[in-house]
Amino acid sequence: MNYVRKLLLARELAAGLGILRRAAPRRDFPQLQGLICAQCFRAVPARSIQSSAIRARAELTSSAKSGKEEESRSGALMPFQELFEGDRKGDKDKASFTRAVEIFCQRDIRRRGHVEFIYAALKKMPEYGLERDLEVYNKILDVFPKEVFVPRNFIQKIFTHYPRQQECALHVLQQMEDNGVTPNYQTKFLLLQIFGEKSRAIRKYWRIMYWFPKLKHANPYPVPDPLPQDPIDLARFTLQRIAADLSAKVTVYQMALTDITDAGKEITQPHIVGIQSPDQQDLLAHHNPDRPVFVEGPFRLWLKKTCVYYYILRGDPLPPEEREDVIDPERNFYCPLSLDLDLDQGIWDDEEFDVDEVVEGPIFAICMAGAGDQNTLAKWILGLQHTNPVLSQVPVVFQLTPGPDELPLATDSENGEEEIPQSQHAKQEL
Amino acid sequence: QRPWSPPEEVFPYPEISKDELEEINQFVGPVEKFFNEEVDSKKIDQEAKIPPETLKGLKSLGLFGMQIPEEYGGLGLSNTMYARLGEITSLDGSIAVTLAAHQAIGLKGILIAGTEEQKAKYLPRLASGEHIAAFCLTEPGSGSDAASIQTRATMSEDGKSFLLNGSKVWISNGGLADIFTVFAKTQVVDKDGAKKDKITAFIVERAFGGVTNGKPEDKLGIRGSNTCEVHFENTKVPVENVIGEVGGGFKVAMNILNSGRFSMGSGAAGMIKKLIGSEYGFKKKQFNKKLCDFGLIQEKFTLMAQKAYVMESMAYLTAGMMDRPGEPDCSVEAAMVKIFSSEGAWTCVSEALQVLGGLGYMKDYPYERYLRDSRILMIFEGTNEILRMYVALTGMQYAGKILTEKIKDIKKGGVGTALQMLASKLRDSVGRKVDLGLVGEGGVTHCSLEESAKKLEENIYYFGITVEGLLRRFGKTIVDEQLILKRVADTVINLYGMTATISRASRSISIGLHNHDHEVLLTNIFCTEAYFKNNYTMTQLEKYADENLDDSIKKVAQQVLEKRAYLCSHPLDRTF
Repeated sequence: MNYVRKLLLARELAAGLGILRRAAPRRDFPQLQGLICAQCFRAVPARSIQSSAIRARAELTSSAKSGKEEESRSGALMPFQELFEGDRKGDKDKASFTRAVEIFCQRDIRRRGHVEFIYAALKKMPEYGLERDLEVYNKILDVFPKEVFVPRNFIQKIFTHYPRQQECALHVLQQMEDNGVTPNYQTKFLLLQIFGEKSRAIRKYWRIMYWFPKLKHANPYPVPDPLPQDPIDLARFTLQRIAADLSAKVTVYQMALTDITDAGKEITQPHIVGIQSPDQQDLLAHHNPDRPVFVEGPFRLWLKKTCVYYYILRGDPLPPEEREDVIDPERNFYCPLSLDLDLDQGIWDDEEFDVDEVVEGPIFAICMAGAGDQNTLAKWILGLQHTNPVLSQVPVVFQLTPGPDELPLATDSENGEEEIPQSQHAKQEL
Repeated sequence: QRPWSPPEEVFPYPEISKDELEEINQFVGPVEKFFNEEVDSKKIDQEAKIPPETLKGLKSLGLFGMQIPEEYGGLGLSNTMYARLGEITSLDGSIAVTLAAHQAIGLKGILIAGTEEQKAKYLPRLASGEHIAAFCLTEPGSGSDAASIQTRATMSEDGKSFLLNGSKVWISNGGLADIFTVFAKTQVVDKDGAKKDKITAFIVERAFGGVTNGKPEDKLGIRGSNTCEVHFENTKVPVENVIGEVGGGFKVAMNILNSGRFSMGSGAAGMIKKLIGSEYGFKKKQFNKKLCDFGLIQEKFTLMAQKAYVMESMAYLTAGMMDRPGEPDCSVEAAMVKIFSSEGAWTCVSEALQVLGGLGYMKDYPYERYLRDSRILMIFEGTNEILRMYVALTGMQYAGKILTEKIKDIKKGGVGTALQMLASKLRDSVGRKVDLGLVGEGGVTHCSLEESAKKLEENIYYFGITVEGLLRRFGKTIVDEQLILKRVADTVINLYGMTATISRASRSISIGLHNHDHEVLLTNIFCTEAYFKNNYTMTQLEKYADENLDDSIKKVAQQVLEKRAYLCSHPLDRTF
């Protein structure tokens, strides 16, 4: 096969010298080159060695070379950019991307400039939103000509054969790895065909295949990908994640609403989603009505790249006097609940200790709302009253820090502490 | 000379006099005849009802007042004789439960804590069976928790009666009973003047009005026994019907519950003895060999015989102890009998059914009915789990008191006690010979039981050391370590079983009862098995023992309960 290649190369060079002159005027229209080349040579069967084809190919190689020369001159990936931005009408999606790759593959059997093309494609992938798509990566890897880079003798095997191509493949695999895409059997076959065994690319593939399955379920609290878009679904997911209690119930107190009244005034209603578990309900039911409960917020929670804000309803920890420590001896009909002994646990045996154990007050409920002002949160408290009647007697103190959207305005209503002794007050305000 | 000798409640095995034995055999005859001829267990199970003729027959035999004193019209039997009759009544599970609910818990309150007027008023008719009694304690939200009882009894203005409001669930004899022992919360004023809610026991007659019961529950086993909900709506209860004193219902409840348990041992033993007599092993032949020539089948029969023997020994030992003058408190022993018998009955009936194979599974044969009836034994009268805690904690309380005495003594400067403890620790590490007065010269057991008795002594000694170690490690907080307490309870139950069997076998040989060498065999088998099980359990109780898997168990439980699901990936799952 080698001599055939050399023959083709020789003929190209000969033809190219003549065509360079013809190719020269074409330099004035660099934008059209790619398109023209594509149009010209789609019909040419890839494997036939005919003089016209050779000449045509030579034209393409010269144009490609000129393209490369343009690259080296301007430093920009011109023809490939056209391939990717040629679709004025369509949006950037998988079909147009794959079409661009196919166009490149078909216009030259030798896939000249494939390394640059692959780098350009890798760069363009995030724009098309395809960085997580395995099929597209396989298609990109398919751009490499097969069996050309496989080392065939001892010297080729010692020294990295075709290092630039191998590095390019490594970059493809690295982008796959960075985006968390697990390659599949097709990737493996492609890499084997292209680079052979023991190449750097296939070794990287094996490394990815070792670690990725092991680390796939490493996160005990995975965030679904993609995150739910609807704010109420997102709030539901977040609250269940924060509460971490399977018996907790999520209630939607208010849906997001934008209304235009008859007077033409726009009323917007933010959504309010809250969560409370039966344990928290019990704690709140036993809360002493003389002590206040606090609404605090907003607190940040990052879910991958989204930041959400939540508010809590909490109480202060009980002072030591009021804590229930006395166990009634007449509590259990069948067995004693405590031993009347003077013996304590041996100091050497107590292996339980927690540096982070801080006495914190109980948290009664959590909510997420579209807006973080006191009126919205007061509506949340009113909604909570349906299941926790004790809230109507307990004073609720709002301790809200300014949220991300709110600017610190010096207005009459303070953004800091404000006390509402009874819920009727809140009702009047609303 | 001997440092310690076994207590005389246990060695020798308690006996009854010849006259008493003849008297009880006179009762046994007619009752057995009645049960064999006139009780159709299959029909009772199918129709979920005891026919009125059967009930009448039971009443005429006096079985409704076995433990009621003769002056009130009952039979006035002692605990031992009650256990003996319990062996026969347990042939039909539903009848046994009806009788037990009536007298072992239903009217026990009046018997042990009632005033003379209450006894004279109610016991005669209860003894004759004209009125049936029921015990109303359990509510939907309260099984063993006294604080969650919702039934309330409020004093009327004139102070002469209480108004009872509430509902009780799963009450045996609820539909048939006319006299209920109800436990309700009443408001009591403390000596400090603080108002508290305390439990009071009441005798409530259906005639007081406001007493309704729901429909009988459809149960898995003991289907002939009537179990239903009982609702009290503004039932007027006169003050004279309070059992004990107002606010003292907790103690009454505890005493009632603790006193009725031991008869389960003899009852279960009676049932297993009947099952051993099945002829199926001889009739069926496979490969030209009778079934009972196969080793595995023989093992099953041995298991049944052994368990029946141990249950009987434990039950009658406890009954004998309770019959001693002074009425000692045998609640721990009774609990141990209940735990062992309920679990033993379940395994033995299961094995007996297994011997029959497919036939055992069919409704034509009684084995499946026995299996269903015996399942409830592990649940009612205190679930086995909570009774294990009771046995272990009561023992720990007793042991803890002695240990604190020793520690206080050392702290006060009692050098002697400290040196004693040190010396015994040194001797233990070298390996000492235990001598508890069972074997050897002046020993209380027969010499053929020497091996088993030595094993028992060794187990007892090392059990003592283990308990001391546990108390030093955990102190009061051992109440929360249920997995450890369970092991302690299992060891104690095995020790009690070994004691009972050794004592009984020793007596059998000494007086030459029929088949006493068979008893020795059974005792030796049981003692060897129990010895090794105890050793393993006590090894698990050591600190940092490899055999102790408690930490892993708790970790798995925490993870599974957090997600409320089975956590492992499916075996067919892939990651790529």
